[in-house]
Amino acid sequence: MIGLQESPEVAAAAAAPIAGGGNWTLHFLQGITPEAVPGWILPIVTASISVGVVIAMISVIAMLSVWLERKVSGHIQCRYGPMYAGGWHGWAQTIADGVKLLTKEDMVPSGADKPLFMLAPAIVLGAIFGAFVAMPLAPDYFFADINLGVFFILGMSSLTTIGVVMSGWASNSKWSLYGAMREAAQVVAYEIPLGISLMVALICAGTFNLIDASEAQRDFWGMGWFIFKNPFVIPAVVLFFVATLAETKRAPFDLPEAESELVAGFLTEYSGIRWSFFFMEEYAAMFLMSLVMAVFFFGGFESPVTYLAAESMGLGYDHLVTNLLGAVTLIVKSMMGVLLMMWIRWTLPRVRIDQVMTMGYKYLTPLALVCVLGAALWEAGKQAIL
Amino acid sequence: MPEVTASAKKFFPEPRILPGGEREFMMDVATSDLEVSMGPQHPATHGVMQVLLRADGEMVTAAQPHLGFLHRCAEKIGENVEWLQYLPYTDRYDYLAAMNNNLGYSMAVEALLQVEIPRRAQLIRMICVELNRIASHLVAFGTYGLDLGAFTPFLYAFREREWLLMIFEKICGARLTYSYLRIGGVFNDAPPGWLQEVEHFCDVFEEKWKEYYDLLMVNKIFVERTARVGVITKEQALDFGLTGPMLRGSGVDFDLRRDMPYLLYRQAFEDGAFEVPLGRGEKGELGDCWDRIYVRVKEMMEALGIVRWCLGCIEEGPVLGEVGKTLKVPPGEAYVAIENPRGELGHYVLSDGGKGSSRCRVRGPSFCNLAIIEDIMPGTLLADAVAIIGSTDVVIGETDR
Amino acid sequence: MDFQGIHDHLKAADVPGLLKADAPRPPNPEDKKDKGRAGDPFVEVDPVQICEFMAACRDDERLRFEILADLSAADPSADSEELWVLYQLLSITHRHRLMVKARIPKEDANINTIAGIHRGAQWHERECAEMFGITFNGHPDPRNMLLPDDWPGYPLRKDYEFPEEYHGISCV
Repeated sequence: MIGLQESPEVAAAAAAPIAGGGNWTLHFLQGITPEAVPGWILPIVTASISVGVVIAMISVIAMLSVWLERKVSGHIQCRYGPMYAGGWHGWAQTIADGVKLLTKEDMVPSGADKPLFMLAPAIVLGAIFGAFVAMPLAPDYFFADINLGVFFILGMSSLTTIGVVMSGWASNSKWSLYGAMREAAQVVAYEIPLGISLMVALICAGTFNLIDASEAQRDFWGMGWFIFKNPFVIPAVVLFFVATLAETKRAPFDLPEAESELVAGFLTEYSGIRWSFFFMEEYAAMFLMSLVMAVFFFGGFESPVTYLAAESMGLGYDHLVTNLLGAVTLIVKSMMGVLLMMWIRWTLPRVRIDQVMTMGYKYLTPLALVCVLGAALWEAGKQAIL
Repeated sequence: MPEVTASAKKFFPEPRILPGGEREFMMDVATSDLEVSMGPQHPATHGVMQVLLRADGEMVTAAQPHLGFLHRCAEKIGENVEWLQYLPYTDRYDYLAAMNNNLGYSMAVEALLQVEIPRRAQLIRMICVELNRIASHLVAFGTYGLDLGAFTPFLYAFREREWLLMIFEKICGARLTYSYLRIGGVFNDAPPGWLQEVEHFCDVFEEKWKEYYDLLMVNKIFVERTARVGVITKEQALDFGLTGPMLRGSGVDFDLRRDMPYLLYRQAFEDGAFEVPLGRGEKGELGDCWDRIYVRVKEMMEALGIVRWCLGCIEEGPVLGEVGKTLKVPPGEAYVAIENPRGELGHYVLSDGGKGSSRCRVRGPSFCNLAIIEDIMPGTLLADAVAIIGSTDVVIGETDR
Repeated sequence: MDFQGIHDHLKAADVPGLLKADAPRPPNPEDKKDKGRAGDPFVEVDPVQICEFMAACRDDERLRFEILADLSAADPSADSEELWVLYQLLSITHRHRLMVKARIPKEDANINTIAGIHRGAQWHERECAEMFGITFNGHPDPRNMLLPDDWPGYPLRKDYEFPEEYHGISCV
């Protein structure tokens, strides 16, 4: 039958296993699977392993962040924070808290919309799990090589807002409703500067893919970061950071869960493990946004150390050591962002909702647009001149 | 057209018939105000107080405070106990400034007794009262930051307050409710080393004060939250009978310590030991929340000046006047007012010559200061409501007695 | 001004409602029963004209009592037939105080409200009303202040009997 004449290169590529730069788990499984197992099982097994890794990662990140937040807040406030649970500076405090929360009574307030009440934390956590899929752990280890990576991440992390609004409504409490309404207004207002300031980095990167964006910052001995490449990226980073604080409901934008005004905002009626879901989502979102910031503004996997391993020592970018160093670099950069968010939380008071909206619409959005315009002109000018 | 049910009719008015015969399609959606109860359990009401708010979205349209959750019948008890037995009850109305309460009651009874207070007792009284003023303003400052979302100044303020409470513990054994300033003087003399520790505290606190000011008072976000919010004009302040930092924050220059002095404040003021800080409308309008918290923060420094002056002229001597074991208070009535950290604390004592008072009325400044929120809250946002209640610095123990 | 000056000025300005002044006096050495009176002087005012008196005190140039520091009541004793309503006035401009007393009968205790003259009186009057059973004529918002809305009796009167139980909660 007359069909598509496949070119030999395409046919070879389809037949061969995934060439260099592919996912390590799939490679490994392909290497060890006996011939009898049909080919379609492998991606499913890879997916299950990836899901497990994501869940484990988020849990560990949340655990670590909660402990870190308590220690950071403690030291900023001239006190120690957890010191006993587990021995050294209370590292097991979060585990103890998690066990306590698991054993709490599962209360649903009377008059609350039960299905929505129970669904809300699930949506919130599910959305952030989904966003983690696009996140690469190492240059060679990823869950899904999504070409629209950062677009996907922004989209999935916005889904959490639905869960928050749902929880505010379903709690049958006026204070929760206030928190939910504030959250909806705030997130919508700050999506725009978030996306637009990220666009500045995308102009420099030329791609939505996180791994490719990270690769584009490889020059200058691993210091060819985008903030050094274009003067409009520096204000964009600041705008992106502020928009991130608003998106993740961190102080000074923590009105949805404003402790002293709204008792606990949309979280008022949640206790036990449902409450901890919301907090896992908060810390996971913080980490995720920090990671996006690290990848698109601060070099991602690239640093002088990875350059040293890959180029100077000649290991190449596929080697395990380079991958490990890249992963460590990325995690360190993300944790720096997370630490900065924590530092700001414990220093600044809360901004009022109308001031939040004013800042978002009247100041950040025009500034972000100016940055995009400037960055585009700069890149065009560079192309023209060089 | 679907049938409009009876319950929906409440929210959706009947569509009008336009000229021409058709029914109006897009009707105005009638929204009702949300009635929210802030309290009695709420992190920002400084105690058990209920403020019923009616809010149109985030804008408050009406506010009605409800008190009485902490009413402990102090005035009725005052009629049934002896003179000296009432002193611990006075500690407990404004528990953050218990020394001041002791002082007010003692001075009211001393006005009836006409007893001479020894100079050392007066100076120790002044030191304790001013240190307690600093402690109380530290709580006001710290919790105000907490209400607005700044978590850290609260802990810094309490670090200094902890030291103050330890100082008080050394002199009278209690940290919060002292019963130390007795009728006729103070109960016991300061232990050795106490005056030196107070002086050391003064030196350290001066540097820390600068830290508090820079951390919170001039923070842009804090200024945005408090300037132009909850403006109380001078006329409103006088009409409502406000006193203390609420009055001075609106620019009215009046302080009982300077203008109707008691203890040795006249001498201290003439020696330049302290001044009276006023709100000047620096950051926004005169009489806004920022002015009031500014007055409180500045008063902490002025209180240090008074303490230093007292330490400078303290001398040896007795600490309790000649009052005898059982007080013989002649019949009569007296009203004596002192300057509490919150305003004018007045005690009206009626005696019929008996073992205890026949009527002991306490004019708590928080009670009078709170009345104004009914007037200034409508028209503000919900977040501002919290800022306004915090700026009144009410202690519900004093409001309810 | 001191009390004597204020009292003289009140008489000279012919302020309505002024009855007499009561100053502290030492015990009478001849009469054993007269133990004298200690404390602060006060001015006694006719309760019917209390509003005019308060308005005059607030508006007069030499008096200028802008602040009503306290409005309270007292029950002198269980067998007394009157209640006292006490007003503490404070002047910021002239830095002086005045205590004003109005005596009203215990049986039919009512007095005009001064909430129109001093806004701060509203809350004080509510508290007096619930504690002593005084009706303030013309009060804009006569709800209970500190006590529950259905509390029986007037607690601060000397003949008050504490209830046995309240809504099923035992009070003894």
